[in-house]
Amino acid sequence: MGFDALVDAVVQVGSGGSFLYLAAGILLGLCFGVIPGLGGTTALALLMPVTFGMESLDAMYLAGGVMGATSFGGSITAILLNTPGTAPNAATTFDGYPLAQQGKAGLAIGAAACSSSMGGLIGLFTLILFIPLAKEIVLSFGPAEFFLLTILGLTAIAVSVRGKLLRGLIAGAVGLMFAFVGSDAITGDLRFTGGIDYLWDGIPLVPTLTGMFAISQMLELALKGGSVAGKSTGNMKITGVGLGVLSVFQNWTVLLRGSIIGTLIGAIPGLGGTVASFLAYSSTVQTDKDPESYGKGNIRGVIAPEAANNAKDGGSLIPTVAFGIPGSAETALFLGILVLHGIDPGPSILLYHEREIYGLIVAITAAAVGASLVGLLLSRFLILITRIDVGIVVPVVIAVSLTGVYVLDGRMADVLLTVIMGLIGYLMIRFDYPRLTLVIALVLGETAERSFHQVQLISDGHAFGFMLARPVSVILLVVTLLTFFLPIARKLLDARKSKTSVVVAR
Amino acid sequence: MKRFLAAGAIALATLTTGAALAEYPTDKPIKFVIPYGTGGGFDTIVRTFAPAVEKELGATVVPENIKGASGTRGGQAVARADADGYTIGIYNIPGLTVAETLGRDIGFSLNEVSWIANLAASKYGIAVKGDSPIKSVEDLCKLGRPIKLSDTGKDSTSSITAVIAFQMIGCDITNITGYGGSNDTMIAVMRGEVDATLKPITSLKKYTETKDLRMIVTLTNEPVLEGVPTTTELGYPELAKFGLNRVVGGPPNMPAAVVEKLATAFEGAANSEAVQIWASNTGTELSFMGPEETKSMMSDLSSFYLQFKNLLQ
Repeated sequence: MGFDALVDAVVQVGSGGSFLYLAAGILLGLCFGVIPGLGGTTALALLMPVTFGMESLDAMYLAGGVMGATSFGGSITAILLNTPGTAPNAATTFDGYPLAQQGKAGLAIGAAACSSSMGGLIGLFTLILFIPLAKEIVLSFGPAEFFLLTILGLTAIAVSVRGKLLRGLIAGAVGLMFAFVGSDAITGDLRFTGGIDYLWDGIPLVPTLTGMFAISQMLELALKGGSVAGKSTGNMKITGVGLGVLSVFQNWTVLLRGSIIGTLIGAIPGLGGTVASFLAYSSTVQTDKDPESYGKGNIRGVIAPEAANNAKDGGSLIPTVAFGIPGSAETALFLGILVLHGIDPGPSILLYHEREIYGLIVAITAAAVGASLVGLLLSRFLILITRIDVGIVVPVVIAVSLTGVYVLDGRMADVLLTVIMGLIGYLMIRFDYPRLTLVIALVLGETAERSFHQVQLISDGHAFGFMLARPVSVILLVVTLLTFFLPIARKLLDARKSKTSVVVAR
Repeated sequence: MKRFLAAGAIALATLTTGAALAEYPTDKPIKFVIPYGTGGGFDTIVRTFAPAVEKELGATVVPENIKGASGTRGGQAVARADADGYTIGIYNIPGLTVAETLGRDIGFSLNEVSWIANLAASKYGIAVKGDSPIKSVEDLCKLGRPIKLSDTGKDSTSSITAVIAFQMIGCDITNITGYGGSNDTMIAVMRGEVDATLKPITSLKKYTETKDLRMIVTLTNEPVLEGVPTTTELGYPELAKFGLNRVVGGPPNMPAAVVEKLATAFEGAANSEAVQIWASNTGTELSFMGPEETKSMMSDLSSFYLQFKNLLQ
């Protein structure tokens, strides 16, 4: 049943008018992705009223184009300006920006483009493979598993901040404290709001991210002067895009792991792309033979998060086809578009609205590939951004990203928060505190707290025993412990090896 | 030609509604405030009604999402606007009624809102897992421990309804809140971490049709589903008063003629083919009420919830 619908959808996309909507979606998605502060959710929220008059399938193509293209668009700014265009691209800055500084932006963009489209394709195939099991997958992740996943994510913070463990933990703790501002999800009590109404709903994510990454990075660039790539690379040729594409296939295990992590995290409602790409990055660092090379321009550090980021779109449709519930903020808006077209998402959505769902799947995948192709074609011009004087780049990025933050909800307070977070972010850059750990803790803290509270209520106060009785929870517990102890064990083992110089026979 | 027509329309309007409101509502667009984000239930109903209302009025209606602070920011924006009929809003009732009854500051007074129309209403039902041994409310109460229910937030209308309903039935509950949306609360029942959930019948029906859930009672006077008893049949007629309403209103002291004009347009829109088809596809229960009826429903609701003040605090 599924395959026929898939073929139909591919044929449909290929035919005239639909393709125009898809192409429009891709271009729009790229633009919204590239601009810090604007993302896929903003694009979809703004587009939603526009789709009202469209045929439902055309609306799907437009939405799918946007969803598939934003993540690659965001990686361009992440690599060239150390400013993630969308939140999930934050992990790409770790190794992408050092590459750009070394004049190898072409390599990084090539790798990002290729791993984005490959990740998108793998995510799609995983989705189609798992559609028959979709219900079981969704039902096996309850509050207990949510809690353990957030703990796994928080553990990864400690692993990913090699060399600056204490600073990473401090930033993470500050992030957790930010996460607890606002009304408690269970009791409704207000905490740390200081009498400010704005903080009732908590510290919103998009202004925080934009401030932390875009504004602070622009302050840093402005005060440093010059251009991103530096003066030493004056007459270097713009090459390496092809090599970047090739590097993805050379590191296919990294690509595969990133895509699988992305699909899995995408399938779990409420975690989203930022966590997916971050976990993909930290797991790649951790399993690599040479973890010290990351953060200095290792191409694998670009491949993993970008693959995860695009694969998560396929995964986030698993809860949608199983129960008609969204797996991500983007799919939530996509379901909103369906409702607007008189389609009520529910558990039988795949039965009655196969056309729309497969249309979206194909559109997202085609967009991931299409956006990468457009990106590759434009890359030689895009890379020139790193040569432009920051005196021109900085004001443009600051103005556009502050506007973007305002557009989302039309609240001036969001803009103010962005500026405040920008200043905090700049101080963190100056004093060498990792910003991503703060953001990851902010993203995870709320879910961690809420789901732990729920588990306590469900299990009548015996949360730990309750979790041990659930197989998926036990697996997650083991993975968390491994994440934590593996590096220590490896270090101890290395130390002993070098001391006694024993050669392990194979 | 256009000017000539407009002049004609103005002349006609002057005859019927008086000089002061002569050009209403043709000279500028009407802002329709949605106190939640795009894609939600309130957003959808507004965006579906807007074009139909436009047709009725011959004016432009522009939906605007002003979300935040549990839907009160949008209500405040409407309350502060000029009462000229160019700003109207949709309200979450009885969510706001309960908040106000409990003495919370919602930033405006529901009493002062110029009520225009009630667009839709939904009633509640209680459902358990599809293969659960629990077959009735009686079984649910005989678990020998507080019944675990799933809900989105402590202040949500369904959560408040659950607290009051089970108090009336006389069973203890533990309300486990914090789920992301009403669909998530129903999936929590399917996962088996909670015993039951109280949700709008239309939402539950999507899952009872696929046998993932089983409805054990509806909070209505008349039977809605075959073989499912109503709370009235079980001897709790008061419970049928609970429901969720989508109500349209405007700033305080709107001229009666403007309210009337808008109400007529909404009534026409509710009966239009586009809205009717949309409602039947999405299971939305349209239930139109004019200004007077809506106003009296609002005051009934405040006094109804006032009696449970102690229970909810």
